[in-house]
Amino acid sequence: MDALRAIVGGDGILVDREELLVYECDGFTIEKNVPDVVVFPNSTEQVVAIVKLCNVHQVPFVPRGAGTSLAGGCLPVGGGVMIALTRMRQILEVNLRDRYAIVEPGLVNVHLTQHLKGSGYHYAPDPSSQGACTIGGNFATNSGGPHTLKYGVTVNHVLGAEIVMPDGSVVQLGGPVEDVPGYDLTGLFVGSEGTFGVCTKIIVRLTRDPAAFRTMLGIFNSVQDATQTISNIIGAGIVPAALELMDQGIIEAVEAAFHFGFPLDAAAVLLIEVDGLEVTVDEEARKIVDLCQNAGAREVRAANSTKERLLLWKCRKQAFGAIGRLSPSYCTQDGVVPRTKLPEVLDFIIAVGVRHDIRIVNVFHAGDGNIHPILLFDERNAEQVQRVLAASDEILNKCIDLGGSVTGEHGIGVEKISFMNKLFAPADLEVMESVRHAFNPAGLCSPMKMLPTAGACGTEQIERVLPGRKAAL
Amino acid sequence: MIPKPTAMSPAFTTDEVLPATQTELSRWIQENAMGAARSIYPAGGRTAFHFGRPLDLSGITVCTTNLSKVIDYPARDMTITVEAGIRFDELTKVLQTERQRLPIDVPQAHRATLGGVVATNASGSRRFGMGTMRDYVIGVTAVDASGRLFKAGGRVVKNVAGYDLCKMLVGSQGSLAVITQLTLKLRPDPETSVVLWASFDGLQTIDRALERLTLSAARPVALDVLDSRAAAAVAAEAGIDLPVNRPVLCIGVEGTNRETAWQIEELKAEIAPFNPHEMLCVADSHVTKLWFALTELQVPSDDPLTFKANLLPSHTIAFMEQADRSGCALQAHAASGIVVGHFPDTVSTPAAAVALLAQLRELARKCRGNVVVSHCDESWKGEMPLWGDCEPGWPLMQKLKRELDPRNLLNPHLSFGAV
Repeated sequence: MDALRAIVGGDGILVDREELLVYECDGFTIEKNVPDVVVFPNSTEQVVAIVKLCNVHQVPFVPRGAGTSLAGGCLPVGGGVMIALTRMRQILEVNLRDRYAIVEPGLVNVHLTQHLKGSGYHYAPDPSSQGACTIGGNFATNSGGPHTLKYGVTVNHVLGAEIVMPDGSVVQLGGPVEDVPGYDLTGLFVGSEGTFGVCTKIIVRLTRDPAAFRTMLGIFNSVQDATQTISNIIGAGIVPAALELMDQGIIEAVEAAFHFGFPLDAAAVLLIEVDGLEVTVDEEARKIVDLCQNAGAREVRAANSTKERLLLWKCRKQAFGAIGRLSPSYCTQDGVVPRTKLPEVLDFIIAVGVRHDIRIVNVFHAGDGNIHPILLFDERNAEQVQRVLAASDEILNKCIDLGGSVTGEHGIGVEKISFMNKLFAPADLEVMESVRHAFNPAGLCSPMKMLPTAGACGTEQIERVLPGRKAAL
Repeated sequence: MIPKPTAMSPAFTTDEVLPATQTELSRWIQENAMGAARSIYPAGGRTAFHFGRPLDLSGITVCTTNLSKVIDYPARDMTITVEAGIRFDELTKVLQTERQRLPIDVPQAHRATLGGVVATNASGSRRFGMGTMRDYVIGVTAVDASGRLFKAGGRVVKNVAGYDLCKMLVGSQGSLAVITQLTLKLRPDPETSVVLWASFDGLQTIDRALERLTLSAARPVALDVLDSRAAAAVAAEAGIDLPVNRPVLCIGVEGTNRETAWQIEELKAEIAPFNPHEMLCVADSHVTKLWFALTELQVPSDDPLTFKANLLPSHTIAFMEQADRSGCALQAHAASGIVVGHFPDTVSTPAAAVALLAQLRELARKCRGNVVVSHCDESWKGEMPLWGDCEPGWPLMQKLKRELDPRNLLNPHLSFGAV
């Protein structure tokens, strides 16, 4: 502790148990573990010194941004040192001619976009938590967001990074230039959930602002009609900037919170945005309105002003915050299905909710096929927690059966580690193990994440209660 | 499977195996690893064998062209799963039936296989607007040097389960694994595509126009700069009568008819203050020929050495000016900072090539970039570092290579940093 204090100073370390409680979990609250210590470095050199010290004492360490992740990615399994990067939040360089910015990992996502306002450029990935989540966390989990349908996820916007490797060495990957000779380690490190090292600088691609937006709200009397519309829009070769679905349960909560004027009797609404040149957005919007109406939309409203558009997006992005009005606890799932399978999976979710007597509401990135069923419960009721876990498992298994995945943007973390054997064959996982071994041979950096480390004969026994620790057995 | 001799190029012959399934391919590689442990050269359309050091002819070519089936094409999901040995042109034809495309400009697309395109990370002029292979590969199946058949990613457009080995294999030059199957994200075909071909008095003027275009009201998909030698080669290949005596800025736009028409007018107005010498719009059937010619320009022909520089976009023109003075024919994907150059015939000795290359590398270093030799005479290859200056990530890449291919069996002549 003294050695750590010498590196980060007295105000850069937390050791009191009460203070450490804040860091016992991220947005995945079902499993918790308190780190032994949290440090707040403010430079790459300090991160290097911390990591080297952890190596000397063979103590595990885990990087953390804002802790908004939803799969336990920054859960300190086995305790150890948590490296909180929130004090490294500088924008180091913005270069519009070359369309990049260099930022520190603790920079809050939306702060970069705010900084760029008026420049004609923005940083495209916009997770719903962008007001709190950090770009380092986005790098670690390859975050998505509503506008990734057209613009791509985090990895499509990262050009390079500076990484403090698990042995304390520093390496520059990629760069502000494209096509750096060699393997695309930048692409491989994005989404590695902190298991390959601690990212200390990120070079991100900046995207030209769209000249015009058209934002619409399609109102449907049945969820089936809404999901069929999504399938029809994509099938017609239209790629909107965003295509989001909110069902009745969510509409009720966001309306109570934001008073937008959502119809409370609608079964589902689609929030659809097209962007691009002023000369084309109307044409594209008209095609979408036709597709909505042909699939049985009761009404299609247009956002008539920037203020109205921003309020609509506020409702969507803060929908999770509004859920507190519905239930004391909730568990958000993150499955993905081929877009044509959306009607089928939504029917299945409704049936699962009935079967397990769990209320499930939906708000998700429909255009990507990335579903976010939200299971409402009370975490003080252990029996209810079990039903929530069973219902979640059924939904995620259905996603696999339909040719999809168990996570579109939240990550495996510890929460979904037991699904890795269902998604991947032993050889796939062995190769992933080899890759991790190349970068993190001692396993001190973010242990027990992403891959089921127990080996083939034990992993099928992993249950969904405390999966991180079970996987580590 | 018994290897048979095959011609790699007029000068070289190695033994070849031609597996019919990925299981057969995996089994053969496994047997090789446990037995003879010969070097393995993954091959598709053999359009990229000019990369890297000369091949050791005791190795074996593992050809994927019999793995060319379409496994699943759910067009309404805008994804496709195909075997890696499908020729790129064949894939394009399949996608055209649904008015979709994989928007990568691939040279020699009639021969190049999809797996080869992915392994070499081929790209062209439209990479500025459409991205590169890393933006489209969402699932991969491959065989490593020990014969392990493995997969990563999946068949859905958004997926963060497991490490993204798709990114690891894009551009890996077949040195980590043999790619056998791919799932791709697709884009709708645009209604129309137009190129504005504008010639200017000098490269400096084009640089100023490019700076202006960073805040263009239009959204071009390509911003290519050609010196007059490259412009002449492109016009000749396309068979279109275009002004070629001065450097040229090619601006490509795609979308609906209305969208492209509006953008072209806007772009004309935006570059007018820089006094273009001539401005022509290339559209309809001509534009297909022009895209083809712009893509084929990067293929080495009989030039002594072909290189690719990767630079900060804002430094591209400064680099081109110096290379132009040395007599190179140059094409830049200017907004991406990529310059493809062909040495002039006057560079006829290895010593002269090494000297010019050293000059270009020094310049690239100032532009925070590098210069890779994509082709030169086999006998010159021992004289120069083909992958350019040592990149900071190379030691880490070598660790990865050792982990997945500890005996250095897969394309050993292509290991980064080992040259």
